[in-house]
Amino acid sequence: MFNAIVSADTLRATLDSVSVLVDECKIHLTDEGIEIRAVDPANVGMVDLRLDAAAFESYETDGGIIGVNLSRLEEFAGMADAGQLIQLELDEETRKLHVQIDGLEGTLALIDPDSIRQEPDLPDLDLPATVVLEGKDIDRAVTAADMVSDHIALGVETDDEVFYVDAEGDTDDVHFELGRDDLIDLVAGDAHSLFSLDYLKDMNKAIPKDAEIEMELGEEFPVKMHFDIAEGDGTVTYMLAPRIQSD
Amino acid sequence: MRLDEFIEDFQRDEAADLRRLAAEKSYAITEYLDDVERQLDETVQGDALFGSTAPSIFVGRSNYPDVSTGLLSPVAGPETDPTDYVTSGEWYQQGYSIDDVFQRRTGLLNSTRSASVNVADVWDGFVGVQREVAIADEPVDVEIGLDGQPDLDVDLDDIGAPRGPRARARDAELAENPSVPLEVEKTLEDDDWRADGAMTYLYRRGFDVYEINKILSAGALGQGANRRLVPTRWSITAVDDTVGQYLRGTIRNANSIDTTEVRVNEYMGNTYWVIMTPGQWEFELVELKAPGSIWNPDPDAGMYMAADSEGYEGRTDYVDETSGAYYATRLAVLEHLQERGRQAKVLVVRHASPEYWAPVGVWQIREGVRHAFEQELGEAESFRDALTELAPHFPISLAQLRRKSEMVSGLQAQISDF
Repeated sequence: MFNAIVSADTLRATLDSVSVLVDECKIHLTDEGIEIRAVDPANVGMVDLRLDAAAFESYETDGGIIGVNLSRLEEFAGMADAGQLIQLELDEETRKLHVQIDGLEGTLALIDPDSIRQEPDLPDLDLPATVVLEGKDIDRAVTAADMVSDHIALGVETDDEVFYVDAEGDTDDVHFELGRDDLIDLVAGDAHSLFSLDYLKDMNKAIPKDAEIEMELGEEFPVKMHFDIAEGDGTVTYMLAPRIQSD
Repeated sequence: MRLDEFIEDFQRDEAADLRRLAAEKSYAITEYLDDVERQLDETVQGDALFGSTAPSIFVGRSNYPDVSTGLLSPVAGPETDPTDYVTSGEWYQQGYSIDDVFQRRTGLLNSTRSASVNVADVWDGFVGVQREVAIADEPVDVEIGLDGQPDLDVDLDDIGAPRGPRARARDAELAENPSVPLEVEKTLEDDDWRADGAMTYLYRRGFDVYEINKILSAGALGQGANRRLVPTRWSITAVDDTVGQYLRGTIRNANSIDTTEVRVNEYMGNTYWVIMTPGQWEFELVELKAPGSIWNPDPDAGMYMAADSEGYEGRTDYVDETSGAYYATRLAVLEHLQERGRQAKVLVVRHASPEYWAPVGVWQIREGVRHAFEQELGEAESFRDALTELAPHFPISLAQLRRKSEMVSGLQAQISDF
């Protein structure tokens, strides 16, 4: 059983942060809220999302897993105005999701969860550097790097206490750095890793510009980015595997 | 073989000779054209009726969808074998030089008419004859009514093979009943079959991409309403891309190769380094075009560099910089991996030296890379080691290559590696 009412904004933010990586996903329904974990087909980018019951106007479930086609559900959610409420109700008989927005009603066919790619294990990484910055700074770095290159280096200079972004293209370079004063917080540790911009651009699309992003970095290690959605009643973690320079 | 011994084997010594030859060769083309003129005078009869055996067709791309569509047939007498004039992997095996290619192609008359590309049901008239020639497995005897004198010139293209003299055709008739392979009959008759599926089917039934692109070009594949003449240049790339996607699918879940493997091959003044390293499929072509080579003709210009790449899931858009060379190279690499049932991260570096003095078409790249896999291989400890050892033999520094190449800057890792 699943029956929930949620604001269109919250539902869209939730779906968007997953759909930048995958087309379909499993949604775990628990007493505390919903959980989604997914990895892209290349096993390079991963998302781990939790949306608490408190983020919903009303939330009832006795547990279970449903499989959804994200772009279909996003289309439904797109029918609502920003402040409108969306009711989602699982029809156990037909395995369809009943969607109701004001007077608009629809049903969305669900996908057999067993047919969806297996969820990844979340690697337990002890990353030496942590940077807390605003979403808009990530946007700025990604946009600047994209002018000159297809990849981007993210790093921390321990001595100078600086977080930096480097992009090198055929002929042009971009360098962007933020010192301790420009950052919300910094735990300095040696870090430098190269990432594919394609992935980072996709993740950037779903990162709220005004949110605080906690970014964990290491030496040729994946980057982790944590941020809140739904006014703190939900969290998203992205993990992106690096491009390795030393092999 | 250890990589350092392997490297010693491919030190180039013929470069200087080739360069000198290249300077002389461009004059040779003019002489071939004189020969063609003489042969045409002999072959074309009073009312400009030209009897020949057509092995192939050509579809132009300008003015699409009203294109110039042509029958290609040798002007030389009956003692020639028309199949020698058709671009295929055979040209490589027979060791064709740039010169040989031009000799063949200048001897091939392109008799053209303009036609709409919408040909779903057109099996009569000039276009009908042309389509019959395209689906036949052997060159077909035809009689072509020419309208006026042929225009004796050579057209160059970076993807298609060079084209020789052109004449406007009044009409054309089959002088025999062409033989059409069963598989081609099957794809032709099924007008519910999408073109990509039909191309893959033909490939799996042993047709090489050269035959498939001829058939595709004649609008003989695909769902009924979508059947059109496809300009030769587009059809070459379309077939390389489609077959490549099919092959990539077959290795999607394959195990990786175990060590870093380096191969090199040289053909027509081009050097191909193929570096394969363990991991999930990733591919890049980097082209280095030397100053003074074709497409970078100014001898004082710097090295022209172009690169395109794809990750595990492939590309969604057409390449930016390397055009048809990308798809031809990727096809050759995927054929090798599929045969081994393995996947790998593969970097191909192509160096076009000044000895590559005239473009002969993308087949040269496809065959150059296909045959790289027949060469002895060198093994390295890692991708990085392979690059470091090869670097002195590249015409640019490793630092320059790193700036241009996605794979040289870093190889994509997976979440599960950590």
